[in-house]
Amino acid sequence: MRDRPKAVTLAVAAALALAGCGDAGAGDTVRIGAIAGLTGNFITAEVVKTAQRVFDDANEAGGVNGKKIEFIVKDDAGNPQRTAQVARELQDAGVVAMAGSASFTDCDVNDAFYRQSGISSVMAVAASPKCFQSPNIAPVNVGPFTLMTAVLLHASQKLGAKAVCNFTVVLPGSEDAVKGALERWEQLSGQRLKVNDMTVQQSGDLTPYLLKAKQAGCDAILFNPAEQLVVPWLQAAKTQGMTDVDFLLLAPAYTDSVAKAVGSLGLNVYAGSEFEPFTSDSLANKGWRDAVTRADAQATAFSQGGYLAAKFMVEVLKTVRGEINRDTVNAALRDMTPIEDPMLGSPFVFGPGESHAPNQASKIVRLTGLRWVVVDDTFITVPD
Amino acid sequence: MLQLSAAIAGLATGGAYALMGLSTLLTYRLVAVVNFAQAAVGAFGAFAMVVLHEQGLPLVLAVPAGLAFAAVLHMGLGVVMVRWFSEAGEGVKAAVTIAVYTGLVAVGLRLFGAQHPHRFPSPFDAPAATVGGVVVTWTAVVTMVLAVLFAVLPTVLLKHTRIGLLLRALSERPTTAELIGVRVPRLSMVVWGVAGAAGALAIMIVAPQLASDFGSQALLITPALAAALVGGFRSFAWTFAGGVALGVLQGLASTVTALQQYRGVLPFLVILAVLLWTRRGDRWDSVA
Repeated sequence: MRDRPKAVTLAVAAALALAGCGDAGAGDTVRIGAIAGLTGNFITAEVVKTAQRVFDDANEAGGVNGKKIEFIVKDDAGNPQRTAQVARELQDAGVVAMAGSASFTDCDVNDAFYRQSGISSVMAVAASPKCFQSPNIAPVNVGPFTLMTAVLLHASQKLGAKAVCNFTVVLPGSEDAVKGALERWEQLSGQRLKVNDMTVQQSGDLTPYLLKAKQAGCDAILFNPAEQLVVPWLQAAKTQGMTDVDFLLLAPAYTDSVAKAVGSLGLNVYAGSEFEPFTSDSLANKGWRDAVTRADAQATAFSQGGYLAAKFMVEVLKTVRGEINRDTVNAALRDMTPIEDPMLGSPFVFGPGESHAPNQASKIVRLTGLRWVVVDDTFITVPD
Repeated sequence: MLQLSAAIAGLATGGAYALMGLSTLLTYRLVAVVNFAQAAVGAFGAFAMVVLHEQGLPLVLAVPAGLAFAAVLHMGLGVVMVRWFSEAGEGVKAAVTIAVYTGLVAVGLRLFGAQHPHRFPSPFDAPAATVGGVVVTWTAVVTMVLAVLFAVLPTVLLKHTRIGLLLRALSERPTTAELIGVRVPRLSMVVWGVAGAAGALAIMIVAPQLASDFGSQALLITPALAAALVGGFRSFAWTFAGGVALGVLQGLASTVTALQQYRGVLPFLVILAVLLWTRRGDRWDSVA
């Protein structure tokens, strides 16, 4: 018993010493962290590679406040335990903020930790509802929920769809967000969904769902999953002869491999993009294309997120006067002036809110031959 | 009407489940191993075929190459089984295949990627007929015919030929069979190879209509085991019927609002129901 105060003192001293070390290490550089899947089922390495290029460019141009930016990337391999662990490692490393994260478990696992430790995150790719509901996280991408509303608006406004149907695979925890997105469309369009099936399973044949759509006379069908289900979905639709229906997909299906796999089926397929469509050679994409090429990374929509998140973080860091630490960066993010970017349809801002979803705009691409082509060169912005 | 259409659509998936169930049963009947890795081995063969095809190899060469790859892989598993576990109980052998399944899925996801789909060629994709408002493709017809063949051929082979007699001896009393002069290791390698190729063929045919990533295809083992269980791990005909019925049930379930979200667990329900029924005579307190 008598030894205990001594032990506590020792522990506190050790902790102080460690904290001191961290501070000393962070003194000469500005440390920015990111979590991504460099290994595992879902690889997002190109996101952080592109972000690294942006930070390197900023450093070559003199850094921020005379200091170099040190970008620390941690791999979580898509494993939630690792996601939690690496966030703590980044905190111990003394990061002043997070930028360019592309981990699908980050928000669900680390939101509370970011709040406690006062770390702000400008995410590159966010997919979970939690990413759009935290005071500490602001994603640069539209995200699957707002995108649902945007794509449905395209169907009801531009394609003149009268019988819009929805088939959704609901991931655990996102049911309310999906419902919210669908209701938002119903309010904006004044239409109601003809069929709304939120029980689509990832296993087994998808034909029964298409038969249901066919019987209900749907003229536009929204389907949310990623590539590996989209390919059999469209193949089955082709088999059932649904060539006069508009198929609406979300950003995860907007990839080159989907275009190659199902482009020859001759169906009407549309997808919503997260940013300026990555397959477009437009002027808006010039800066990103240059960065992603020099980073020797794959030019995907996700890498656009990495580019933008890093770019916005650099701009915000430049506005910090005096010492750059967690508090001053948080204040700068809170008070930042919205940044317009040609790759986005609505300006990026972090701001003081309890939740952040700055990106509310998407461009629609259409499958033409074996390529995705931009349908309409204006962003569809979802009104509040 | 929608129910009928969905049930007809389910026949195609059912044929695929039957095919997978029959190749699992083949492994069990001939070498006495409940092989949880059957679909994973098949998926390896199927993905090998796709990768070769994408490299420009024509389909007529890529398919045999994929089948051969799966056969060799399955023989590898067979070597492990024969060398180290030939005297072990069924439980131990099954546990070994579960370990192999986990390993194969990890390697398969690494090699073939989970993100970007490979396009599985579907040469029989042309519509064959329209039945009850559903367009039935030649793929469905071919699947069904193959499943019937898979059900009939082993039965005939095992019951009416000398090699069938040897195979039965091999699976039921491997040591005795060896003592009376059956070349057990060589014969069982052939069996492992054929069963592996059969599984790969099943996966190649069903892959275009199901989720096209490695993990989903390796998971086809669940409906396959459910089908084999309907056949009591003995009857090829009942395994066929079980697989087809499971596919039809899944199709039907997706039209019933109260059931549609439980579609994915149907194979497990079938497994449970069959186990309860076949074990209904057992008593908890009886001494085994």
